[in-house]
Amino acid sequence: MTVSRRILRLLLPAAAGLCALAALSAVAFILGVLLLRGLGSVDWVFLTTDTKAAGAAGGIIFQILGTLILIATALAVAVPPALAIGLTRVVFLQNRPRAARAVDALLHAINGVPSIVFGILGLLIFLKFFDWGKSWLAGGILLGVMVLPTLAVSLVERLAAVPRKYIEAAAGLGLTREQIISAVWLQQSWTGLITGSLLGLARAAGETAPILFVTAVFSGATMPDGIRDSPLLALPYHIFVLAQDTFNEDARANLWGAALVLVMLVTCFNLASLPLRLNLHEESRHV
Amino acid sequence: MKAATLLLGVVVAASFFPVAKAQKPTLRVSGSTTVHPVVSEAAEVLRKDKDLAITIDTAGGSTGGINGLGDRRADVGMSSRPLNNADRKKFPLVDFHATSIGRDAVSIVVSKDVWEGGVKSLNADQFRGIYECKVTNWQELGGEDCRIVFFNKEPGRGTWEVLVKWLYGNPESAPRSNHPEVGANEEVRSKVSGTRGAISFVSTPWADGQRVFALGIQKDDGSVIGATGPDIASGDYPMTRPLFVITNGEPAGAAKVLIDYLLSDAGQELVAKHGYLRLADLK
Amino acid sequence: MTEVLPPSVASCAKVFRPRWILWSCALGVAVTVTSLLGALAMLLWQSLPLLGHQGSSFVTAPEWYYPEKAFGALAMIYGTTVVSLIALVLAVPVAVGASILSAEYLPPGLRLVVKSGIEMLAGVPSVVYGLLGVLFLREWVYHGLTAFDPISGDSLFTAGLLLAVMILPTITTLSDDALRSVPASQRSAARGLGLTRAEAVLHVALPQAAPGILAASLLGLGRALGETVAVFLVVGRQDNQLPGNPFSPTAWISPGQTLTSKLGGPETHIAYGDPLHWSAIIGLALLLLLLVGFCLAAAWGLERVMKRTPMDTESDS
Repeated sequence: MTVSRRILRLLLPAAAGLCALAALSAVAFILGVLLLRGLGSVDWVFLTTDTKAAGAAGGIIFQILGTLILIATALAVAVPPALAIGLTRVVFLQNRPRAARAVDALLHAINGVPSIVFGILGLLIFLKFFDWGKSWLAGGILLGVMVLPTLAVSLVERLAAVPRKYIEAAAGLGLTREQIISAVWLQQSWTGLITGSLLGLARAAGETAPILFVTAVFSGATMPDGIRDSPLLALPYHIFVLAQDTFNEDARANLWGAALVLVMLVTCFNLASLPLRLNLHEESRHV
Repeated sequence: MKAATLLLGVVVAASFFPVAKAQKPTLRVSGSTTVHPVVSEAAEVLRKDKDLAITIDTAGGSTGGINGLGDRRADVGMSSRPLNNADRKKFPLVDFHATSIGRDAVSIVVSKDVWEGGVKSLNADQFRGIYECKVTNWQELGGEDCRIVFFNKEPGRGTWEVLVKWLYGNPESAPRSNHPEVGANEEVRSKVSGTRGAISFVSTPWADGQRVFALGIQKDDGSVIGATGPDIASGDYPMTRPLFVITNGEPAGAAKVLIDYLLSDAGQELVAKHGYLRLADLK
Repeated sequence: MTEVLPPSVASCAKVFRPRWILWSCALGVAVTVTSLLGALAMLLWQSLPLLGHQGSSFVTAPEWYYPEKAFGALAMIYGTTVVSLIALVLAVPVAVGASILSAEYLPPGLRLVVKSGIEMLAGVPSVVYGLLGVLFLREWVYHGLTAFDPISGDSLFTAGLLLAVMILPTITTLSDDALRSVPASQRSAARGLGLTRAEAVLHVALPQAAPGILAASLLGLGRALGETVAVFLVVGRQDNQLPGNPFSPTAWISPGQTLTSKLGGPETHIAYGDPLHWSAIIGLALLLLLLVGFCLAAAWGLERVMKRTPMDTESDS
């Protein structure tokens, strides 16, 4: 073997390894900094008291609650269309590849819309058109539409993995298509919806741009009442505003604490979806 | 798996909370980041003592607050600049009622290296030169050889309008100029202190003399005036501005409670606490 | 030998109302599609005053100054382009390198660990990236790149660097998938002909995975184009920065403005009541949508090419 080939044989994995190392050290740095600087501020008091002095003191309870309310609403908004689109894509369009591709394209398209465009749309529709004030529902709806593709794609993956022999057996038993859907398709793949929901919740929890105009205020909101003029506090918005004021020493420690709490919340949801996702790969290999 | 479903169930259940609460009218306050600290603390007190629901937001600064009031997205607007014709023209149906709760000044601040390089004051001509990018090095102004980095404020900031009023007479006459933009007072401080040769303008209490340094203003007769209490009160210092809370029509209901509190002794104490001048301090 | 069916199927003899599932699905899909189309239509309609006022100079004029009703988006298009390109140039090599390692050299267990590790980058919310950018990246760029004499730590380059880290996981994961979808038989054949592993990767696997990797990069680009909060915090937000020489590094190390940083900033709050200003903001949003749409469409097309390329199945067993 020539020298150059020998060099290449060593160089490629070395270079690739360096790249992977660079990426992983970025991960380590981010998590490390968050833990180092944020852990000190996060205690039970921090998680359960109200913010005081514009973020320099107190805790983040209503920010956490606001985020939870937003993502719960987003879930409620996203599940019905995701189910509809998922079932349509796999069951009703199984013999129409072009239409199925159109549905895929639709999901891709929604997934790719920048979050700020959702925010502007929300401003346009909910504030201008409907004449609502800042509203938790507006934010929830926007977030729901944003994470809809995540749910739908996860469901579709699971639906597509349902073994044909189950369907054929059910058809052989004389079940109607609707019965097959509820008895076989959904029974076998509803975990896909759970997975997608958890991933979607993780994503929705961290989004700032959609709630920037239509839901979030910096202080004063507690639990919403009514639909119009019911703003919320939210972790991402809180961090966004304070990030521009990072000079205030008192607020800085709390800022890191809030960032840590947000990342942990997102990670929780992401991790919760892991067992189900790993399961999927296992099963599709054995079929 | 069961844990995942349980988690999901809890989250969905939480979504039913919002509909199960009684109505309580919320006072929506929005606007200037300069007035924000005072109103924020006042709101904390009122939420506790009088059980008022008050939400505060500062997106968009003074102009954002005025616009919010005009669009009926806010009940009270906070502003660090007086209302001008453009505001009234934009919202002809709104009866803007501005209540002054104190007075503040705008200081020109520079970073440590500029201050220690010998620049301690500027006059309007020099600043106009900086604003229009005609003067680009501190050497031209008596300092060291260093590029001037001017941080302008976002459009709509009350502080910006006060500056251009001093430089050009009114905001409409300000020429187009392109500089990096900063937002709230804290952000100005953070960026100026971290950049060599930096200059910007900020609400006076934020010029702490440790991280950023306030320049004096040279008047036409050559004397230098600083942003000190008496000079602000008398109006000698050119960049002073009243701090306003604005309502649509006479203040009523929760807005009246808030404004009365701000005008009371306790409220005025808050004004002083944050470094501004109380109404009583003005002649 | 009969198959054993899940109990749910056997118990499904209960009567179901016919076809309600079909109709509700159709309704769900219809509602979704209609609302999206309606939203798009609203955007277009609201941007009409701008077209009347400014016409096509919206995208060609460099000056944006709302008090004088000048709405030229060229400088922001430039800013968006530069920031995203910097992000791609920095992220793609690292991502492809990391994916080569995970797809070609690592055993399955380690591969999962590395992939999951890098995917954690995707789990960090963009506002936290913005925070890290403000507190760390800003200082590093300002003090580290003194050779380029930056005005401040906030610049197009800083934003591009931050974005590179943010889109890294997307490109890595998808490139890894693309490489893995090249059949093992191809690599075996190459090795059988005497190529080393590295050569097999470079000359056999990588070229075949290229469309997939390209699609991954385009998806990363789409994400970079649309990122708002992180870019807003570190880009400097200086309007009308259209340099004489768009390719000079000095231009990139200066503060700038992107479509997203303008949209996410205070001007949107101010524009809300003024019809012309508001339609200009909507115009920016549409422009952004258009740019992202191009990227997504291109990625979509490439993915189709990747799927349609005939590959021999694993029938050799």
